[in-house]
Amino acid sequence: MAKPKLALYWAAACGGCDVAVLDTNEKILDIANLADIVFWPIAVDFKYHHVKAMEDKSIDLCLFNGAIRSTEQEEIARLLRDKSKVMVAFGACACFGGIPALANFTNREEIFQRVYHEAPSNNNEDGTIPLLQTSVAEGELELPELFDTVLTLQQVVPVEYFVPGCPPPVDLILKLVDLYASGKLPPVGAVVASDKTLCDECERIKEEKKVTRLYRPHEIIPDPEKCLLEQGIICCGPATRGGCGLRCIEANMPCRGCFGPPPGVIDQGAKLVSAIASIYQGDSEEEIKKMVEEMVDPAGTFYRFGLADSMLKRKRLQQTEGRM
Amino acid sequence: MKTARRIPLLKKMLAQLGIEVERVRLDWVSASEGDRFATIVNEMTEQIRQLGPFNRNGGSENG
Repeated sequence: MAKPKLALYWAAACGGCDVAVLDTNEKILDIANLADIVFWPIAVDFKYHHVKAMEDKSIDLCLFNGAIRSTEQEEIARLLRDKSKVMVAFGACACFGGIPALANFTNREEIFQRVYHEAPSNNNEDGTIPLLQTSVAEGELELPELFDTVLTLQQVVPVEYFVPGCPPPVDLILKLVDLYASGKLPPVGAVVASDKTLCDECERIKEEKKVTRLYRPHEIIPDPEKCLLEQGIICCGPATRGGCGLRCIEANMPCRGCFGPPPGVIDQGAKLVSAIASIYQGDSEEEIKKMVEEMVDPAGTFYRFGLADSMLKRKRLQQTEGRM
Repeated sequence: MKTARRIPLLKKMLAQLGIEVERVRLDWVSASEGDRFATIVNEMTEQIRQLGPFNRNGGSENG
């Protein structure tokens, strides 16, 4: 009986999700025994043409990490979708857009301006920028085109399962592998994590959620026993799915929302506006103004991992013809 | 009260997302202030008309 075929791919990603799979340490050998890894650019030498030559649906499980922001990433997402029985959006970027999706506050032109021209550390007097096509002596060179808008995997191809996290914790990865191996995968569309909020799972002492000022993480050293929100630190726990093992909380840092919205919440950022504004004590116009000033960057803080997945998906493009 | 705090914070976030904050208005009207209610609704309706339908691509600068 042939072993099931496993593929992994990284789109607009940092490599952390691939490292997380390797972080399963000796259990990676169990994974390698369980499945044939037929494609994994970071670790194995198979190329795109190997995938193109496969029959449709011949890959049993594909763990796709990274968001979609270029023509190449879109093409490979579609290719792997055709060749795979089960497609998993692996990690916060594939699930919600992740950190790359913060580019949705701007557009390709502004990014190119900044990266290739304005950045203070640049040494680019000739103003060289990447071009879609360049002629060199050896022939034509082509580069993928970048989109104005970063997309989640599901916005490009249908996805069966979601494993959130930046990166997904080792035990969730192993849980997914285990569910697959034992044939006990949940109904399609499931998120392999907890169904509660992080706040629910947090073990810190919670008294009354009432604060009179907001602190940014560098402004205060938090008490490691007490609820961070109650100390005035913005913690996304109330509107973030649990199941991460509280790795940040245990490092005395607030939750940043990398597991995405909890069940039943469509827009994580909006829910966080509601939650943070609710616990702030202050009814006078001045106190409210103070709160709004203390909350330095609501959009970036509340949509840190989920801008592509939000209801608006991106900041409004000013030109009447945006690419996406 | 919560609404009084949520709406200003929401407006700040909407501005960051390129949405005209004039599309959101918060006011308090009691059941006995019928005239005032009508005035506010009319004002808001006219304001939205000036802004035009919400368009994903393009703010009010482009129409």
